[in-house]
Amino acid sequence: MKQKIFIIAGLVLLVIVIVIMVRDLFSSKKEDQKNPYDYKLNELKKTAGKQIAYNEALSFRTGLEEIHAIACGAGDRIFVGGSKGVEIFEKDGKPAGKFGFEGFASSLAMDKKGDFFIGMQDHVEVYSPEGKLLKKWNGISPESFLTSIAVSDSFVFVADYGKRAVYRYDHEGRLINRIGEKDPEKKVPGFIVPSPYFDLAIRYNHELWVANTGRHSMEQFSYDGTMNSAWGEASMAIDGFCGCCNPSHFAFLHDGSFVTSEKGIERVKIYSPKGEFKCIVAPPSAFTEGTRGLDLAVDSRDRIIVLDPERKQVRIFVKK
Amino acid sequence: MDKSRTSYPVSRTLYFVHRIIPGLLFLLLPLITLPIQRFPKPEFESAYTQPQTFIPTPRAEFLAYLDVFVLLISLGVVTWLVLKKRSRLWVFFMSLFSLAYFGFYREGCVCSIGSIQNVSLALFDHSFILPLSVLAFFLLPLIFTLFFGRTFCASVCPFGAIQDLVAFKPQPLGSRLNTVLGIIPYLYLGLAVLFAATGTDFIICRYDPFVGIFRFNASFGMFLFTGILLLSGVFIARPYCRFLCPYGVLLNWTSRFSLRHLSITPAECIQCRLCESSCPYDAIDYPVTDKSPESRPVMVRKMMILTLLVPFLVLIFGYAGSRMQDTLAGVDARVKLAKEVMALSRIQDAGYGMQDESFEIKAYKASGKTESQVYSEASAVLKKFYFGGWLFGGFTGLVIALLIAGRMLPVYRKDYVTNKGRCFSCARCTDYCPIKS
Amino acid sequence: MPGRREFLNTLMRGGILAALGLLSGAVIFRSRDEKSCSYGFDCSGCSRSKSCMLPAALEARQMVWQLDMTKCIQCGRCATNCVMSPSAVKCTHAFAMCGYCDLCGGYFKPGTKTLTTAAENQLCPTNALKRKFIEDPFFEYTIDEELCIGCGKCVKGCGAFGNGSLQLQVRHDRCKNCNECSIARSCPAQAFTRVPANKPSLLRGLGPELPKETAKKNQANG
Repeated sequence: MKQKIFIIAGLVLLVIVIVIMVRDLFSSKKEDQKNPYDYKLNELKKTAGKQIAYNEALSFRTGLEEIHAIACGAGDRIFVGGSKGVEIFEKDGKPAGKFGFEGFASSLAMDKKGDFFIGMQDHVEVYSPEGKLLKKWNGISPESFLTSIAVSDSFVFVADYGKRAVYRYDHEGRLINRIGEKDPEKKVPGFIVPSPYFDLAIRYNHELWVANTGRHSMEQFSYDGTMNSAWGEASMAIDGFCGCCNPSHFAFLHDGSFVTSEKGIERVKIYSPKGEFKCIVAPPSAFTEGTRGLDLAVDSRDRIIVLDPERKQVRIFVKK
Repeated sequence: MDKSRTSYPVSRTLYFVHRIIPGLLFLLLPLITLPIQRFPKPEFESAYTQPQTFIPTPRAEFLAYLDVFVLLISLGVVTWLVLKKRSRLWVFFMSLFSLAYFGFYREGCVCSIGSIQNVSLALFDHSFILPLSVLAFFLLPLIFTLFFGRTFCASVCPFGAIQDLVAFKPQPLGSRLNTVLGIIPYLYLGLAVLFAATGTDFIICRYDPFVGIFRFNASFGMFLFTGILLLSGVFIARPYCRFLCPYGVLLNWTSRFSLRHLSITPAECIQCRLCESSCPYDAIDYPVTDKSPESRPVMVRKMMILTLLVPFLVLIFGYAGSRMQDTLAGVDARVKLAKEVMALSRIQDAGYGMQDESFEIKAYKASGKTESQVYSEASAVLKKFYFGGWLFGGFTGLVIALLIAGRMLPVYRKDYVTNKGRCFSCARCTDYCPIKS
Repeated sequence: MPGRREFLNTLMRGGILAALGLLSGAVIFRSRDEKSCSYGFDCSGCSRSKSCMLPAALEARQMVWQLDMTKCIQCGRCATNCVMSPSAVKCTHAFAMCGYCDLCGGYFKPGTKTLTTAAENQLCPTNALKRKFIEDPFFEYTIDEELCIGCGKCVKGCGAFGNGSLQLQVRHDRCKNCNECSIARSCPAQAFTRVPANKPSLLRGLGPELPKETAKKNQANG
């Protein structure tokens, strides 16, 4: 009798073991979906709807493998630069041509004639409006990574993330001076650029602005390198620049207002010419999580053109 | 609060970074790397030097071959203890050594039982590299068993050793129960090979009951699982080895043809019946002498039934296995993902908004894979499980048919002998035999 | 009768031996594949010719588990699903990629106003990430591995705002190298792979390995 009880006990336990195994193996229950260590950004990504003053009017895909730079030219044509070429679109998104080259267009700008100045990672190449290579400027440094380029009537300004410097060239590619390096006498704090987003632009055709992302500030320089003014505040809140280093890109409306884009909390916003927060163009919910490199351009009608490298789209926002 | 302490803690890691790493640099040379140009480091003006990222090296590779060497020596020693010395005590001591080395020191990985899966996967997926040491863990016990019986089970395998320690009240189960429960390892083996070969899962490792003990580290559920199995092992000696172990199936069949094998008595059996209840594993076959030989027509009929039964069962079970395709493939992560993606697109098609996405869906979206890529991967897996299901089912049918055959055919045995397939060569019975030489 | 039995046994033994031999031969032969080359696709720096026919299995490489950060989505399962507790997966800092930011997305809780090392500002649940002032405006971040549980919270923060220099990696001084990694099984991104033990790291941003020549030279000098 005792023996029987022992056998039955042993067998029952063995059967329990087997049942546990089989049930666990073939159960269709999902893995635990709770992350006790979740990083919660969603609260910060919430935006007040009434602050959003723009609507997405149009979006279209580009054909380039990787896209990195956008610019807007005569007739509000849109130019997209990226790996191995530049694509051209009409203002309504219809393809209007393209041209190719070896290499990777990390930045892009046009002069009045329509010639392209293209930052090819470590040097600048100049192309005719038809896409013919006109001139190849000297390489700057093997560490260089040209993240932004702007053309005024007489000068070409280039932002180099790798060397953390801004260069002023003439249209022929002769270096005139370097701007923005740390200089206590001129009260220049120096650029802090932790990640490869370093933008510059020209306002009213003479004011050079550079995004000093690590300091979360927009800085205005004279052509000789004196810093005239700066504004900007580090904050996750909607009126500041979030994360380690923002804004990643910016552009100007015709009244001199700043259009800025950020990574981390993906958002496009407008600041007044003096740097006061005005409104939201596109809230974080408009972008795929993790999108970075939202290059910006503005056309003659103040439409805001956003390059979305994650969705490989050009997205155009207009005022409500 | 002391602010300086919270601001600049000198942690052990830092100590390691500053003091020990320079010493290790020499060893780590292949791991030292150059920063890529996309992330130039800040221009420090102070004398700050950027620390090197410390990358710990895995266990030295030669140690894996040391393990193989220890396995080989252990097998040799145990075989000698079982066949020549015939000493249960020494075999027991040897099992303590194995428990210490393969169990607690090596923490149970990689073991011969699990190596079945590595071999299966390597056979079907040639991007999977099978280290030679793992192949050796798979082959050596089998080769030893082929010549000397299951001395590996006696006291080299740490699983057997740990179960032997708790077998306080082993009960005889009777031959019928032994046969029926004995089917489970075949099913386990079939499933393990199927899941390993399809790259789905290593289920032997997933349900390894003892690894938590060897590591002193497991979840509560795992310890509970181990506890139940060990508790069952108090009454049913070595339940894992007898009724679960898939490697045991291979050892069982190789052992049947072994050149030499542990015998209860070193000389002629005197039918004293002292060994009768000595085996906790029911691995001693009693003499069968009183059955009168069956008549010829009965034999012929039995043979005919069997020749029909074998293909019939193989086909029936094979078909059933192929019908289990979905259930079996449902274990595979690729198939699970495809199901989730399908459900998601159905919800979206129906016009419902986003629900809380699972991590699997988030990862799928982040990976940039298209829906059709996910589906085609899953359907390739499903196809494998269709053939796999046939093979698994057919194998099960064959096993059952052979077991039936084994019970139908007459046996004749004069003496008490060890069952060469089931015997673990633990040498307990030799202590009971009055004949010593 | 016993004679016939013996003969059959011998025959079966031979058969089983042959089968085992064939099986191992097949397994070794099948590993003769470029993809399973333990130098990992890259034939430069390999002394053998490109049309290498030596079965990879014969290279006798041990394989270890590693986490591919390009697939990782920081779900937190590395912290909870390892057979070890705390997990053998830890945050590893690729200093070469770090921006030394003041406002570090991996160090501070989102929305932190004052950038101090006060405990309530820290994102890390175990305060394993340490911040040290270097010079204006740079801060160095290091990981106290004893405290790190591999949850990936800082990794996500760093990746969202910064360069992604904080990365999760299997630390092989802790990893038991289970035959099947239990995190790998539950990883939603299938980011765990087996890598050759001589190249155990999949840390990003440390650039290409030094060419063998340079390594040798350094070795001679150092």
